[in-house]
Amino acid sequence: MKLVKFAAAAATGILLSTGMAGADDKPVVGLVMKSLANEFFQNMLVGAEQHEATRGDYELIAVGMQNETDFESQINAVENFITQGVDAIVIAPADSRAMVRPLKKAMEAGITVVNFDVALDAAAKEQQGVELAFVGPDNRGGAQLAGNALGEALGAGGKVVIIEGNPGADNANERRLGFEDSVAAYGLELLDSRTAHWETEEANQVFSTMLTAHPDVQGVMAANDSMAVGVVKALEAAGRDDIMVVGFDNIPAVGPMIEDGRMLATVDQFGQQMAANAIDLALEVVAGGPALEGWVKTEIELVTAD
Amino acid sequence: MSSADDIGGTPKNGAFSLRAIINNAGIGLALLVLILFFSVTTEHFLSPNNITNILTQITINLILAVGMTFVILIGGIDLSVGSVMAFAAVVAGKAITLPGLGTTELIVLAVLAGLAAGLVCGIINGGISAYWSLPSFIITLGMLNIARGAALQVSDAQTIYSFPFVFEEFGSMLIYGVPVVFLLALLLVAIAWFVLNFTVFGRLIYGIGNNEEAVRLAGHPVFWYKVAAFTICGLTAGIAAIVYMARLSIASPIAGIGFELNAIAAVIIGGTSLAGGRGSVIGTLLGAFIIGVLANGLILIGLSDFMRQMITGIVIVVAVILDHYRAKFSAS
Amino acid sequence: MLFSQVSGAVLSDTTIPRVKMTQSIPAPSDLILDVQGLRKSFGGVHALDGVSFSLRTGEVHALVGENGAGKSTLIKVLSGVHPFDAGAITLAGAPFRPADPHAAKVAGIQVVHQEFNLLDDLSVAENISIEAFPRRRFGLLDRAEMKRRARAALDAIGLHDVDVNAPVSRLGIAHRQLIEIARALQSDSRILILDEPTATLTERETSRLFDIVAGIKAKGVTVVFVSHHLEEVFAICDRVTVLRNGQTIATENIADTSPEGIVRHMVGRALVKEVKEASLHIGTEAVLTVEGLQTLANPHPDGVSFALHQGEILGIAGLVGAGRTEVLRAVFGADPSRCGRILRDGVPLHIRHPRDAIAAGIGFVTEDRKDEGLILDMQIAANMTLVSLTDVSSHGVLNFSRERTKAAHGGARLHLKYGKVSDPAASLSGGNQQKLVLAKWLESGPKILLLDEPTRGVDVGAKAEIYAILKDLAAQGMSMIVVSSELPELITLADRILVMAEHRIQGALLPNQFDQEAILKLAYGQPKISKEPAV
Repeated sequence: MKLVKFAAAAATGILLSTGMAGADDKPVVGLVMKSLANEFFQNMLVGAEQHEATRGDYELIAVGMQNETDFESQINAVENFITQGVDAIVIAPADSRAMVRPLKKAMEAGITVVNFDVALDAAAKEQQGVELAFVGPDNRGGAQLAGNALGEALGAGGKVVIIEGNPGADNANERRLGFEDSVAAYGLELLDSRTAHWETEEANQVFSTMLTAHPDVQGVMAANDSMAVGVVKALEAAGRDDIMVVGFDNIPAVGPMIEDGRMLATVDQFGQQMAANAIDLALEVVAGGPALEGWVKTEIELVTAD
Repeated sequence: MSSADDIGGTPKNGAFSLRAIINNAGIGLALLVLILFFSVTTEHFLSPNNITNILTQITINLILAVGMTFVILIGGIDLSVGSVMAFAAVVAGKAITLPGLGTTELIVLAVLAGLAAGLVCGIINGGISAYWSLPSFIITLGMLNIARGAALQVSDAQTIYSFPFVFEEFGSMLIYGVPVVFLLALLLVAIAWFVLNFTVFGRLIYGIGNNEEAVRLAGHPVFWYKVAAFTICGLTAGIAAIVYMARLSIASPIAGIGFELNAIAAVIIGGTSLAGGRGSVIGTLLGAFIIGVLANGLILIGLSDFMRQMITGIVIVVAVILDHYRAKFSAS
Repeated sequence: MLFSQVSGAVLSDTTIPRVKMTQSIPAPSDLILDVQGLRKSFGGVHALDGVSFSLRTGEVHALVGENGAGKSTLIKVLSGVHPFDAGAITLAGAPFRPADPHAAKVAGIQVVHQEFNLLDDLSVAENISIEAFPRRRFGLLDRAEMKRRARAALDAIGLHDVDVNAPVSRLGIAHRQLIEIARALQSDSRILILDEPTATLTERETSRLFDIVAGIKAKGVTVVFVSHHLEEVFAICDRVTVLRNGQTIATENIADTSPEGIVRHMVGRALVKEVKEASLHIGTEAVLTVEGLQTLANPHPDGVSFALHQGEILGIAGLVGAGRTEVLRAVFGADPSRCGRILRDGVPLHIRHPRDAIAAGIGFVTEDRKDEGLILDMQIAANMTLVSLTDVSSHGVLNFSRERTKAAHGGARLHLKYGKVSDPAASLSGGNQQKLVLAKWLESGPKILLLDEPTRGVDVGAKAEIYAILKDLAAQGMSMIVVSSELPELITLADRILVMAEHRIQGALLPNQFDQEAILKLAYGQPKISKEPAV
């Protein structure tokens, strides 16, 4: 009947920092991830689990989703965590608006909530009267880092195309805006901008067709490395080694490509540590530290051959 | 090759009878119109490079659609081919990155492993749906999840990369501008065409789609024919996986999401009836071309992604409506 | 009508020349419909090849002809389903060319089809009003008015006992037919076409239908009556028009003609009564022995036991549901059997799948040629070789020229009427489709043929031809088991008749005992007249 007791406690808003695991009185952290089919989040989860083992002073319950847009199971996960009476929820929201209301419920139940990876929508937060800090990388700034590297290499007037992520996804939007910032800053010429839904094969097809339409293209900005790989393969097939490619995420598969110059640069947002960092911040608050405010930016780094 | 001529029996003047040509004329004409339209409205459409592109781009869908044609002809459907392709790809990817083997051994091992993975999924799909007479829609929907999960499990959700150079070469090799992988797909089409039109097996595939009970009462092992159709479909998913790897130099566990729908679309646009028993693999070839030409041409004319998606959807619906009238025409 | 009345007869070779029109031209004012030189082709097939006939106001006019004679096409043209190619139709003095079925309905031509067009889960009232629901304001359904209209429509044809609120699924077949008639008649009808209305009715229901037809006629509505049953035609019709090969052969007053005369018009030849001869070719050894066979569907503890001899035609009679088809399917391995032994030439057989039966030289001509016998969309040649594909292929690859030869041979053997062997099986008429099923099995070279209702839905002429073929095969030594609901068919064909009831054999009759009354008694489970079936 333990669960029922905690559920009742949560409902009345009494803070129970002892947590459900009880026995050794470690705080419990609920981690809500996005799709674990995505290796970025898979790696992040591995990082969080290693972190739990290293620190050894908290208990981690991690939940992943079926796919990138499955925010319904994220809502369910948050509600389950409220019922279980965890001490902190650390979440990478699948939808920046849909997740605001359930997280508000969690905060009202006295749970420390830390939002990482993708920021919740500011307008939605205001509407619901939620004050919540964001811990995460600056996707737009990161994309701009990559874009600037390309701009630097091409110089003003360089002709570029953008391969976007899923239309509607916040990080896809941010990265596209970051690329566009670079285009403006360096006076590049944007020939075309299309989605390849984060997918290698689709990026390969879409880009090879773009290359036909714009044989004079000089640079490609891909919103993630999976798509950058597809672009590189299309360039190889077309026998073009004069076109520069930048990506995002620094997945292992692009390492050799950056080394041998098939790719110019990618951006590392240290995804593997991202969840662990957010958990550290959450535990500080649980231990009585000050509440987080605004945007706690995490480290990002441009990766090039040098 | 379509309609009455495909559903068994003696082609009158060889396989390319007048009726067969008329029956495929509609879809061929549609393809021709698309090609004409794009060659007039865009400057690069008919350039050798773009033709190479289109051939490359339709290859995987065509390979999957050839297998799908068999399944749809017996009145089934296979929703799992995209996931099975991903599963076969990571299995082959694991094999090809094994340490301590020579390049040739690795490639042979990987190809066999990938094909075997697809084959096994196909046998399971066909065996279960045929043995218990369950709708293949739901069984293969289950396999869609099983194979995807297995792909993620086997690969630990990591993209597998760094393949032998020769293997990657094969993916981008051209013969007079024609991708070798496309020739491979074309070879599969030719084999399927021969099997469907000139063998007892093909005859009974059409027969089962039309009247399963009549075929059973004629003493034929319907169960095994159904299993075979799904196995062929699984096998083509395995072949598609190998082509995917060779072309992109990676094996991703999230590859092929939604590919089943493109393959089904190619088959249906090609005039094969979802109810089974009527259709042809030549139609499937044309259907795959229509989808590929459309995807390519609409980017070339600079249409937005969203408009592109809408138009592709419209083309599928229109193709099915046209097919409805074509079936009526050839029936009267 | 458990056993339909068909005369057991075969054709003589004398062909009778086309008979001249014997109709007297009625006064124009009498005519409600006049059809002249109507033509309609589908592809290369002339379904209607010059049909001329007329309907008088308030008459009951029979339309008869063999399957494929053009009756259905004629009805479809009159009711606006198909446009016609040439000729003229005059309805009540004005040219008539319905664009669609709705136009024909508006013009007052109503058709009650062979297949029911009722929606099972809706009520009687809803079905009757479905073409024009009564509405209140805002398009709401006026239920009271709908029920009132339905009641009136049913009362008009004397169906006072049918509840308008009952769902159609609860009604018997006869009532469904009558409800279709009520629905057809509620709008102003000038001509009511009844397409095979008695095919599924019992005798009592048929006589009720006839009363209703008489009532309709009294109201001045012209009734067109399409039927295979000549006794019904002679019971209620005033005149009869005979179609053959898409042409009008004759229109005659019923009073001036005879059933024999009409059959002669239908088949174009004279039928002579066949003389039953003792079969001399029947062997003494049993080629097939069935012992204690129990079917899964509804087994009887005794099981079924019988023996079939070389060259013998063994008939199995019985009511629908007596277990006849189940026995054939179990012997053939189409359905699993529960227990029992099957011996072929005295050797026990394990039949688990049709292919085991086929390997033992057994063929099965199924009852339902559309669902079980033929692949209608496939070519005639492909259907012909379906059981004997190994004969026309080597290493799994088809040899089309061998297949064509085989198909042509199989077709010629049974006098199959077809265009090309590459035409789809669906292009054949009903009788020829049945012949194709038979031919398909003969091409596999069976020693034993199981036939389930071999002439169902086949017209008189084709029936006689199929009988002659079967008898000839028996004379050549083939053994057959024939299940039929038509007693005259069994009496004509069989050398011995087993009668089944409740999944067991009630008795066996030899030719000198063949008698409809005796068979019926056994079929209804009356005491046996002979001991256990002669094995």
